[in-house]
Amino acid sequence: MNRIMQSALRLAGSSLALALAACGHGESAGLPLRVEISHVVGAAPLRLGDQYSTAAGDGWSAERLRYYLSNFRLRRVDGSWFANPQSADSSRGYFLVDEADAASKQFQFGPVPPGSYGGLEFLVGVDAARNGAGAQTGSLDPARGMFWTWNTGYIFFLFEGHSPQSGDAAHALTYHVGGGSGAPAHSVFLTFQSPLQITADSSAEVHLYADLARLFDGAHQLRPAALYSAMEPQAAAEVGDNSAGLFRIDHIHKLPKAALGPGPADGT
Amino acid sequence: MKRCLLPGVVLLLTLLAAAPWAYAYVRARATPRPYIPAGWPAPRYDFSGNPVSADGFALGRRLFYDSILSRDGSVSCGSCHQQFAAFAHLDHRVSHGIGGVNGKRNTPALFNLAWQPELMWDGSVHHLELQPVAPISNPVEMGGSLALAVDKLRRDPHYPALFERAFGSPGVDSQRLLRALAQFTGTLVSADSRYDRYVQGREPFTAQERQGLALFRQHCAACHTEPLFSEFSYRDDGLDAAPADAGRAAVSGLPQDRGTFRVPSLRNVALTAPYMHDGRYDSLEQVLDHYSSGIQASPTLDPRLRGGIPLDAAQRQALLAFLDTLTDDSFIHDRRFAETHD
Repeated sequence: MNRIMQSALRLAGSSLALALAACGHGESAGLPLRVEISHVVGAAPLRLGDQYSTAAGDGWSAERLRYYLSNFRLRRVDGSWFANPQSADSSRGYFLVDEADAASKQFQFGPVPPGSYGGLEFLVGVDAARNGAGAQTGSLDPARGMFWTWNTGYIFFLFEGHSPQSGDAAHALTYHVGGGSGAPAHSVFLTFQSPLQITADSSAEVHLYADLARLFDGAHQLRPAALYSAMEPQAAAEVGDNSAGLFRIDHIHKLPKAALGPGPADGT
Repeated sequence: MKRCLLPGVVLLLTLLAAAPWAYAYVRARATPRPYIPAGWPAPRYDFSGNPVSADGFALGRRLFYDSILSRDGSVSCGSCHQQFAAFAHLDHRVSHGIGGVNGKRNTPALFNLAWQPELMWDGSVHHLELQPVAPISNPVEMGGSLALAVDKLRRDPHYPALFERAFGSPGVDSQRLLRALAQFTGTLVSADSRYDRYVQGREPFTAQERQGLALFRQHCAACHTEPLFSEFSYRDDGLDAAPADAGRAAVSGLPQDRGTFRVPSLRNVALTAPYMHDGRYDSLEQVLDHYSSGIQASPTLDPRLRGGIPLDAAQRQALLAFLDTLTDDSFIHDRRFAETHD
C-alpha cells in the first residue's frame, strides 16, 4: 500500500513537473523531431565484417562502430536557435549510436516549437561539462563501455575493425576518440536544402547518413599502416576530425503528428 | 514482588518506544558529515549532488570492504587500502590485484580526497565518483568491469535492499554504486594530527619539531603545501634520469610531463611506507637521502630540485620529527571508517 502511494505520489509529482515545464517555456509546445541514422560506405549500406578499400587502396573492415551524438540544436531561418533541453540528472538528449543495435539508430528530441528551420547542429561526443560531471545514468552510464578508465572520460567515437595493411600484429584497427583530458567534442552543422517547417501538427524525420569511407578519406587521409591504433589524445585527433566529417543529411520526411506518438528512445 | 511489575513494564515499554530514536541517533553519530576544517579551502567534490546519508555512507563503506566488486571475489578496495596505514598498503611496493598479479604503482593513501582536483598518481581520474571505475576494471587490480560489478550486486541477496534504503527507491545501477562509494571515500577527512592542534594553538611542539616545521616550510612546502600538504601539481622529483613510467604524460600526451607524478599529501606520511610512485623507498630516511644527495638530472626534473636539498644530520632529525606530527591517530582509529560486519 505504502509503495503504491509512493508511486502514485511520484507519478503525480512528475506530471506536475511536466505541466510546469510546459507552462514555463511557452515555445516548448510542439512536436518532437525524429532523427534516423544510416551508416554507409559511399553509396552502399555499411555491413560489419565486409571488406572495403580507401582511395589510397588500403583495405578495411568494420566490426564495431559506436558513438555519442548530443547537444542537438536547430537554427531558425532568422538565425536564432532552438536547443534541445537537457537535464543534469538524466542522460536525456545524449544518444549512443551503435551500428549493431538498430533501435539506437532512430531517436527523437524536442518538443520543437513550430517554426521554420534552416539547419541542424550536434556534437559527435559529449560536452565537456557533462564529461566532467561525475557518475551518470542511462545512455551515459559508464558501464556501457563507452568510457575510459585510464584517462577518465567518455569515448566519443569508437571504430574497431581490421585492415591487411594495419601495422598491428593481428591487423586490427582500433580507433577510440575521447575527451579524457578536456579535448572538446567536434561540432557538426548541417544545412537543410530547403527550410524545414515544424507546425503544431506536423514534424519531420531527418535522415542522416554517416559515410565511413570518409573516416579514411576525410579532412585527413588515414593510412592503416601508420595509424592502426588511436587512443591517446594526440594520436586520435585526426580520427576525431574525420569522425565529424562523416555526416550529411540524405533526405527529410514530413511526419504528421499521428506518426510520432510516444516514440522510440529519447536517450533517457 | 507484584508491586515491581508495573514500573518494570512501564520501563520496558519506554525503552522499546525509545529504541528507534536511539538507533537513529547512534546511526547519525556513526555517519561523518562533510565539513571544511578551519583554514582549509572549499572541497572540489560537490556533495550537494550526492548528499551523505547514514544509509548511503554505510552502503559505501560496505562496498569498499566487499570483494564482490572484483571479478573473482578475491579482493576489495580495503584489501590494498588499510585504515591503519591511512588507507595505503603497508609494506607493499606496488598494488596487488586478483590472481596474485602486481600493478605498477604504489597504492596511494586515501584521505581528504574531496579536495583533490584529480586522482591517481598520474591524475587520470578527474572526478571522485568515477575513480572506482579504474581499479574495478584494471586487469591487474580487481580485473572485472563496472557492468559485471553492477550485475553481481543486483543478484546479491542483500544489496538491492541496501541500495533502496540508501537512495529511496528500488534499483542498483552504476551511478548509485559510485555515489555510495563517494559518500565513504569523500568523507575520509584527516585533519586532527598534532600539527593541526599545534597550528590551532591547542598543543605545543618541541624545539626540534618547530625547527622541522621551519625547514619544511623552507624546502618542501612549495609543492607539499599546507594545509593539504600538496598543491596537486605533477612533478619529476629526480628519481630516474630516464623514467620508465611515463606518468602524467600518458594522460596529457605532453613530452614535458614524462616521468612526472602527482605531488602526494604528506599527512600521515609516517604510516604509508613504502614511498614514491613505485614504492622504491622503504623509509623516510631513504626519501630524505634521495632529496639531499640522490637527485637524478633529466630534462623534466623539477627546477626546484636541481642540486638537491642539502640537510645536515640535525636538520634531518628535525624534519623527521616534524613529519611524525602529521600522523592523525584519531583518523586511523576512527571506527566509522573501519570494516564492520553489519
